[in-house]
Amino acid sequence: MLLIALLACPLLAAVLAAPRSLDRAAVERAGVALAGSAFLLSLVVATRVAGGGVVSVGPEEFLRADGLSAVLALIVTGTGLVALGFEAAAGTAAATPEAEGAHFRRYHALAELFLFTMLLAVTVNNVGVMWVAVEATTIITAFLVGLRRSRAALEASWKYILIGSVGIALAFLGTVLAYFNFVQRVGVTPFALHWTVLSRVAGALDPDVTRLAFVFLLVGYGTKAGLAPMHTWLPDAHSEAPAPISAMMSGCLLPVALYAILRFKVVVDACVGAAFTDRMLILIAVLSVLVAALLLVRQASYKRMLAYSSVEHMGLMCLGSGLGPLGVTASLLHAVTHAAGKSMAFLLSGAVRERYGTSRIGSVRGLLRAMPWTGALFAASVLALLGLPPSGVFVSEILLVRAGFRAGRPWVTAAVLVLLVGIFIAVLGHLNRMLYGDPPEHLRARDHPQRLLPLALNVAVLIVLGFGIPGPLMRLLGTAAGIVAP
Amino acid sequence: MIPWLLEALQCLMTLILAPALIGFVRLLKARLQGRRGAPLVQPYRDLAKLLGKERVVSTQASWIFRAAPLVLFASTLVASLLIPLVAAPLPFDRVGDLIVVVYLLLLGTFFLALAGLDTGSPFGGMGASREMTIAALAEPTIALAIFGMGAGAGSTNLGEIVARTLANPGSTLSSGHLMAFAALFIVMLAECGRLPVDNPATHLELTMIHEAMILEYSGPYLALLEWAAQMKFFLFLALLCNLVCPWGVAVALRPGTLSVAVAALIIKLAVLAIGIALLETRLAKLRLFRVPELLGVSFLLALLAITTSFLVR
Amino acid sequence: MAPDLFSRLVTLASSLVLLSGIAVLWRHSLEAYIRAFARQSFLFVVTIVLVAAQTGDARLYLVAALVFLMKVVLIPNVLQRVQRHVGADLEIHPYVNTPASLVITGALTLLSYAVASPVTTLGSVPTRGGIPLALATVFVGLFILVSRKSALSQIIGFLVLENGIALLAVLATFGVPLIVELGVFLDVLLGVLVMQVFVYRIRETFDTLDVDRLKKLRH
Repeated sequence: MLLIALLACPLLAAVLAAPRSLDRAAVERAGVALAGSAFLLSLVVATRVAGGGVVSVGPEEFLRADGLSAVLALIVTGTGLVALGFEAAAGTAAATPEAEGAHFRRYHALAELFLFTMLLAVTVNNVGVMWVAVEATTIITAFLVGLRRSRAALEASWKYILIGSVGIALAFLGTVLAYFNFVQRVGVTPFALHWTVLSRVAGALDPDVTRLAFVFLLVGYGTKAGLAPMHTWLPDAHSEAPAPISAMMSGCLLPVALYAILRFKVVVDACVGAAFTDRMLILIAVLSVLVAALLLVRQASYKRMLAYSSVEHMGLMCLGSGLGPLGVTASLLHAVTHAAGKSMAFLLSGAVRERYGTSRIGSVRGLLRAMPWTGALFAASVLALLGLPPSGVFVSEILLVRAGFRAGRPWVTAAVLVLLVGIFIAVLGHLNRMLYGDPPEHLRARDHPQRLLPLALNVAVLIVLGFGIPGPLMRLLGTAAGIVAP
Repeated sequence: MIPWLLEALQCLMTLILAPALIGFVRLLKARLQGRRGAPLVQPYRDLAKLLGKERVVSTQASWIFRAAPLVLFASTLVASLLIPLVAAPLPFDRVGDLIVVVYLLLLGTFFLALAGLDTGSPFGGMGASREMTIAALAEPTIALAIFGMGAGAGSTNLGEIVARTLANPGSTLSSGHLMAFAALFIVMLAECGRLPVDNPATHLELTMIHEAMILEYSGPYLALLEWAAQMKFFLFLALLCNLVCPWGVAVALRPGTLSVAVAALIIKLAVLAIGIALLETRLAKLRLFRVPELLGVSFLLALLAITTSFLVR
Repeated sequence: MAPDLFSRLVTLASSLVLLSGIAVLWRHSLEAYIRAFARQSFLFVVTIVLVAAQTGDARLYLVAALVFLMKVVLIPNVLQRVQRHVGADLEIHPYVNTPASLVITGALTLLSYAVASPVTTLGSVPTRGGIPLALATVFVGLFILVSRKSALSQIIGFLVLENGIALLAVLATFGVPLIVELGVFLDVLLGVLVMQVFVYRIRETFDTLDVDRLKKLRH
């Protein structure tokens, strides 16, 4: 019941966007209220499963939430709440000038459906339905990315839908191979595609086909997760989409794709041992961080800068997944902190863009003078993302380094640390150019600090986690990590 | 005695029936295009006419010009000894297999190209270069198709391949077999100068390939060249028929089975000739730079034929 | 029907599916691409019917009907309407020319045999002859996608890729569970509809379907 209620919230919000009797403000408020209830419900689920329990409903646990699902559900609902709240508090035409008038209903409905499909992907037991949900996110977000109708947005959304669809198709190929493996070794059973069933019989599966299936799954879902070398759509899509959508995509969709990979990792590890997947994950992770580091040096647009930072952080999460139980804990913690920091950064960047009218770093000067509160928070969020203490990202990165050394991969960890330093220098340089100096003539110092209230949640998460991980959260993360790397 | 007679029979069959085949194809095309067309025996009359005419040889020509028609004619005739027209396996199988046949035919093409270059006429040179391009592109396909067919039978001996296919009729329905047939069919169109690769009835500078090489010839030389081209066409078609649809080919050398084999061959060739006539009426000639694409497709078909037959058991 | 004959027919059908995918690499006009895709989908439906007849699974007949409706009738219609509306573009200068494309296709076929070898040796489904061909279709679809310049041909490449994966699913596991099958259909249909909307928009905004012109966002 709990899970059905959780899934129903965004679905209901999408339906409520339709009737004409509700004006924009009412739709937004309803959206925020339902997002808030979704967040509370996912907190309830999290408390239930933190000790290793499971919340499930349906035949052979069709909808199933364990520790891992709970962590991701929290991320999705939390980011959704903040994004929708920020939009509602900002009033009309603030964050999404593209979604005007009648378009607003379509935009809101699509955004809510986006949240619904992500929640479905993390709570469903059937890997086939999980695939369907992830594919649905591609289609929904393709529309949202191309909302602005400019040349750049069109190019971005075309690349996104093409590359995303190909990636998803390859992930389906991997799923088919896994199913084939199961059917050949065990026989046709009604719930063969349930993850619980697959992991139960993992020992009996054929190792070669399993390895082949994992390669396809990694490439396929890795495309959706923004891992190099399949990341080429990410900078375009995340920079051209409206700010709340970028926030949700960077904060939620990327980790959800990684979640799909992790679900299969459990099955593959039980079949061929963890060394194979670990090696592949680490390879892709280092490549992603390297690509991000190289391309962050010369960035002209701050939204693209944030997008490449997403590639870097996804690389770090992927790295953690390949470093054993402590690494997975670090990776999941990183997912939480990254979602908090990145969504805040993207939402604020939307406000900056609306104020300055451009997303070029060179054209934005004197941010701290023109928009004191927004600018300060923006700087704080970027610094937090770079891993400056006392941000939660710092803690998760320290945990990651510890995990790297404990897993016996000192060189990889050291190389990643060097790259992180490089990224720090590059991004700090861009940020400084934006923050200081005199703002352009036509901008008066005007800011609406009350709009930034919804971001209090993000700030709280980052600071609290920056000082230490509270017990309940640690228990939840430990349980989730135990599922992936026992 | 019987083996020698059989080989002589094959030789004679090729010599006598080849012009009839070409006449049949031309008649069909004419009827399909709404014309009355020349009668079936017209090619014979043309050959007889040419044999009686005077030969005119350019003063610039060397010995290659005089030798080429003879080499072409002789090599094609020798190839007819090795291809199972009416019986398989053939007595001469020990002398040469499928590879030898292919390269005998190629020897003739090579000399013809040289002859085209020999007189220094621009048409001849142009025809020769085009012919060599097409031949070079068709070679890998022929090689692959040969290995495809041969590996199935365990040998590249044509007679053995046909005998094996006779023994295992179900194998003709496999995708490997059919794709190899398609690949060889396209190669046949290229090698024998049929549409859509080359128009055998044209003398336009932009479009002729085979005609360009023989442009300088006259009299008995021209007769030999035309006859050799007709025999090459006949042999290619017979090879295609008997490799893919070997029913009717005599295994035992008795008069009864041999006459059945001859009749079967004529029927199969007629069917294939009808198909070619229909194809030629429907298709337009490909522009020259599109021909490599067509031959690339045939190469791919041959490759697929091998992979589907042998890489998954 | 005898398992040997069934095996041969399925391999034959799969090769024809692959060949109609390769036809896209050989032809130059977008109308021909759409027709080749329709032909490929039809051959795919024939394969499904063959498998359904052999295994006696009624569900597969339903799947075949759905595939026919969607991929042989609906999607080619949609694409033809788009193509006629935005003008009959020819794929004149693809990134890789035709003879090179065909040679690369040969290499991709050999690669797919190598990659699919653990799959064909596992178990002994009678349809295993067609599995490497289905994988080759996937690779050919991917190759079409990266080597052609027109946005419409990229959609065709994606659809060929999708056909290959669906063929693999049918050959290897005789179809996936129905709920997933329906989800896949819906997703492919929606995906194509979304893509064609974008094709219209690209034509309006850029005045051409040449994706080479979409280079505002580099690095």
